[in-house]
Formats: sequence, C-alpha cells, structure tokens
Amino acid sequence: MSDATVTLSPTENVINAPATEVDGHDPSMLISMRDIWKTYQMGTEKVHALHGVSFDIPRGEYIAIIGPSGSGKSTLMNLIGCLDTPTQGQYWLNGKNVSEMDDDELARIRNQEVGFVFQTFNLLARATALHNVELPLIYGGVSASQRHEMAKQALTAVDLTDRMSHKPNELSGGQRQRVAIARALVNHPSILLADEPTGALDSHTSAEIMDLFERLHSEGNTIIVVTHEHDIAERAHRVISIRDGMIEKDERIR
Amino acid sequence: MRILRSDIYENLKMALATLRANKLRSFLTVFGVVIGIITVMLIASIISGIDVSVTREVESFGTRSIYISKFSPGIQIGRRSREERMRKELTYDDAIALQSLPAIELSVPFLDITNNPFGQKLMVSGGGKTSAQVALQGTLPEFEKAGTQVISEGRFFTQTENDTNQLVCVVGSKVADDFFKIGSPLAQTIKIGPQEFRVVGVLEQREQFLIGGGSDDQNNVIYVPFNVAQKLKPNADDIYILAVARAGLMEEAKDQVRDTLRVRRQVPFAANDNFGMETSESILDNFRSITAGLAIAMVVISSVGLMVGGIGVMNIMLVSVTERTREIGVRKAIGARRADIMWQFLIEAATLTGLGGVVGLSIGWGLTLLLRLLLPSYVPLWAPIGGLLASVGIGLVFGLWPAWKAARLDPIESLRYE
Ligand SMILES: Nc1ncnc2c1ncn2[C@@H]1O[C@H](COP(=O)(O)OP(=O)(O)O)[C@@H](O)[C@H]1O
Ligand SMILES: [Mg+2]
Repeated sequence: MSDATVTLSPTENVINAPATEVDGHDPSMLISMRDIWKTYQMGTEKVHALHGVSFDIPRGEYIAIIGPSGSGKSTLMNLIGCLDTPTQGQYWLNGKNVSEMDDDELARIRNQEVGFVFQTFNLLARATALHNVELPLIYGGVSASQRHEMAKQALTAVDLTDRMSHKPNELSGGQRQRVAIARALVNHPSILLADEPTGALDSHTSAEIMDLFERLHSEGNTIIVVTHEHDIAERAHRVISIRDGMIEKDERIR
Repeated sequence: MRILRSDIYENLKMALATLRANKLRSFLTVFGVVIGIITVMLIASIISGIDVSVTREVESFGTRSIYISKFSPGIQIGRRSREERMRKELTYDDAIALQSLPAIELSVPFLDITNNPFGQKLMVSGGGKTSAQVALQGTLPEFEKAGTQVISEGRFFTQTENDTNQLVCVVGSKVADDFFKIGSPLAQTIKIGPQEFRVVGVLEQREQFLIGGGSDDQNNVIYVPFNVAQKLKPNADDIYILAVARAGLMEEAKDQVRDTLRVRRQVPFAANDNFGMETSESILDNFRSITAGLAIAMVVISSVGLMVGGIGVMNIMLVSVTERTREIGVRKAIGARRADIMWQFLIEAATLTGLGGVVGLSIGWGLTLLLRLLLPSYVPLWAPIGGLLASVGIGLVFGLWPAWKAARLDPIESLRYE
C-alpha cells in the first residue's frame, strides 16, 4: 500500500483541460484515457461499446462508474483493468502506455497494478481463504514465506483473521467478498476495481462492504466501483455516468 | 523465463488437489497408462530373466570354448540348404591338427553315435530298463580338461583305454538315475548296443533351462572312448570338435582355427567357410537378437497402452479445461500469464499420468516378484525409470493441446462463462 499513500488533490475540472500534458497525457495522473474506442464486430455490423471516452483519475480517488445496463460500464472496466485493449485511443496507467502492451505485459500489469473484485466473488472453491489470497503473489513470483505473511496481513486488514483456513463454502457471502477484497489488495495494487461488488449481497452485508471500501480509501487506496445502483454510487467522491458508450456526466460529489 | 521451482511445487500441489477431488475419474483415465507400465515391467523382467538363465547356461559350456561343426551356426528353421548337407564331414585328424595351434589349449573330437531315424539303432539298457533316447558320444579323455563337464564320482576314461579299445564309459546324471536305481553306478555295467560297458565315472548334474527345452537331455548322455565309438557304429561320421582357446586369446584362436580348417577343407580364396564355429558369445549374440525383437514387441505393445491412456488423458483434460473456464478467467485476471496457465494444466496432466505410472510400477513390481518364483528374473533399472519417464511424458504430450487451449482462453469471456 506504500505507493498508494501519495494522495494528490484532484483538480477541479478533470475532463476538460488537463494542466500539464506530456505526450498527450498528464504524467501526474494514475489513469489517463484519451479518446478510447471499443468496437465489436457482430457479423457485418459494428457495435461501438465505447466511443471516444477520455478522463483522468489521480491517485487516491474513490470513483463510481454508473450507467444503465448495456451502456459500456463493464467494457470500460475491463479496459481500466487491462483485461482488454482499446480498439482505438491511448490509455496510460501509472505513466505506462497500456494500449500498446502485449498479452504477457498486460498480465504483469494486472498482477502488480490492479486488484479485481467481482460481483460473484470468483474464489477458487477448493482452496482456503489464505490460499486464495496468496494466488496473485504466486503469479508475482513472491517466495512462499513472504507470501504467507502478506496474505495474512491482507486478511487481517479485512477482519478475517479467524477465517484464514476456511474454504469459500464455509464462509458467508460478505465474508467471501472480503476474501476477494483481500486477494485484490494483497499485491498493493495502484487501483482497486470492483464490478457490482454488492450485486450478490443483501443490503446489510452490502453496507458492510461499502464501509470497508470507504476505510480502504481513507487508507490511501484508489478505488473504482462499477454499479447501476445510485446509493452505492453516492458513497464515492466522484461519479462518472456513462450512457451508450459515452461519458454523460463526470461530477465530484464530495 | 519465470518458471520458478516454487511455481512447479505450487502447480504440483494444485494438481494433486484437483486429482484428489476427482479420484475415480482420474483413475479410470490413467488405466491405459497403468496397463502400459505393467507391460513394460513384466516383459522387461521376463526378458531379463530369460537372459540371465540363458547366459548362465551358455557360459557353462565355457567362455573359451569353440564348437566346430560342418554346419553353419545360428538358429535353423526348416531344412538346411543342399550345399550345407553335401559338405564333407569334419575328421578326427582335423581335431588333432587344431590341437597344435598356438592359441589353442586343447581340441577334442566328438563322434555322435546317438540313435537317429536313418542310422543303425544302438539301444542302451541296464537295471531292467532299455532306452533309445540316450545321447551317445565318442570322445577323448582330454575333454575333461575343457571343464565343461565335471566328474562327481569316479574318473574320466584314459588315453590308454581309448587306444586299447576298452569298453568303459562316463555317464550323465540322468543316466545314472535311470539305469542304476540302487547303489553307485561305478564299476557296474551298462549295455550299449551289443556290448557291456563298465561305468568308470559319473558326471555332475547340469543346470539347464532353455537349451533342450527344459527337459533333462543334457544329463541323459554317455561318453565312450572315441575309438570304441567308431567300432560300435563303423559308418558313423557325424563329427564335431570342441576347441578351447588359451586364456585371453579367444580372437586369435578363432582366426587360427578358421585359417587351418579352410586350408584342410580346401576352401577357395574368397569363398565362404564350409564349416561353422560357435562360441558362447556367438550363441548369446544370436539369442539376444531374438530378445531384442521381443523388446521391440514390448515397446510396441506398451506404446499402444500408453497411447490409449494418453488419449484418455487428453479427453479428461479437455473436459477439465471447460469445467474450469471461470477459474482460468480468474487466474488470468489476477495476473497469470499464458505460460502460467499452460504449465498448470501440463503439470496436472503429467501428475495424473505420472501417478498412473507409479501405480503401474507398483503392480508391475509385485508381479515381477511372483515371476521370480519361476525365473531368475530381475527388473532392469531402465524399466522403472523408462516407465516413469514415459508416463510423465505421455501426460506432457497429450496434455499439450488442452493446456494450450486453456492458455489461449480470453479472460473476459472466461469470467463470464457459467
Ligand atoms: N464481446 C462482445 N461482443 C459484442 N458486443 C459486446 C461484447 N461485449 C459487450 N458488447 C456490447 O457492448 C455494449 C456494452 O456492454 P457492457 O460493457 O457489458 O455494458 P454494461 O456493463 O454497462 O451493461 C453492449 O451493447 C454489449 O452488447
Ligand atoms: Mg456489466
């Protein structure tokens, strides 16, 4: 979490006039997207999931991306998380141009810079909570003993100290999501990306998870939550609304 | 390359966990591999067992012995060629001539006067029993020095007994048992054809396994003086010669014997020998060319088993990749590269077949222990090592395609997979 502690104060108008552009992006920003297009070929027809999206995100922000179903939220999220590359446009993450990276470089970025939290948790069913959290460290080449320490720390950070050796089916939904959050945090990534993180949880548990996000943000993490629920989006400090693959509104609410 | 030892260890742990979760399916899948490995172990130990027995037996005829006959050596299938059958016989004088060669320690002729379908019958009788099955050989007392037959009781006949046509004989252990049920055969008589022979010596029993088809033929033999044999069967001309090389001079001895016999038998320059020489080495070479064929057959048979196993493994791994599409998506999302996914499934496949190999080796090993009750067999080291390598290799080869499919999966689609 050491690199995330540098919290820059977000500029007032993030979209329109970035102050210090170098090579067409602002190097002080954690995320810089410039005129991003994502086009799918459906038979003879072209579907533009995103058309011409640009924005900047400084370190330490807590952002919600909101929009109706089919508006392009997940597509944008996959691009931010480097699971996919844009059809057109430039994406700088931490000063690196991600839009030109190959498969293995993207895997490395996902491992080091991004922590994913999914709606359905996506834990390995046969592995214990501890092993699930260790997994990103295995792919990061961290030694076994260090891995163990780091995974324990991450589980402690989400208040699961006493559930480390439990398998997912021995945990409640909220606990599973907290394991998933620990897994996302264990590598100290630059961004925590959550796609509908409370979609599978009841309202009480959802509130718990949202409290956890708030705490993680206050500890310096950059958090992006994708949701279609307004009360979830309102917990963030900045809300980007998208519709039909375009940014409709980008406002600071806190 | 970031394939650290810890990665392989992690993958191995993951693979074992997966296999444990699907015990029955895993076992059925590797059944072919198990059978293949058992085949390798069994046939390898059978071959080794036969090899040990044959080597032991062949070498008991002397590692320095050269057996010379008018026929070409090797395994004879069907009738010998006309040229071979028309060759002139070896003679007593040939044997004596070889005796004086520098690399030859001793050389003795044998005259075979055993009953044969065309010749005159010489029945052997004694102790109330009569048989036409005993091998009758005329030879010289020098034969004893060859060390291939050992006297257990009494003595060999002497040169004087040969020269003066004494009716004495040395009998094999089976003859001693069959014809002299009570007391020692020594100084007793046995009737060969029309004449009574005095037994002066009894031979030690020879172990025998393959030569003679496991029967006791090697011990069902009577040796008489060469001259006496000639008189017993005046038209007999079936002579062969045993020459023993001096220590360390086996090659020279063979050359000298060949050169001498070619001259004595007037073989034209550049023509092939009109006689055959066999040594324990040449007999073993011959034999091993047969077991090599067997070994190839073994490789083919077990390859079929391993192939069947391999295809089963490929099938099950493809199923596994499909079942775990979402898991693959998650792994990719948290930073697994293509190579990581590839290794995961390759190691899983190799662990599966490797365990099949271990099961096969254990069962096979148990069976070879049973086999040891029948044959002096052992399992050559290459069999378990080769078997294990082959089974792991099968997993790697047949796991390649499923692993490649897994590695190529698109992370976004995999994450969406239900
Ligand atoms: N792999 C794909 N192939 C074709 N069209 C796609 C694909 N992924 C997304 N789309 C389309 O792109 C648009 C945006 O999708 P998505 O980003 O999933 O929306 P959201 O997450 O906001 O519901 C939709 O019209 C969807 O049909
Ligand atoms: Mg979506």
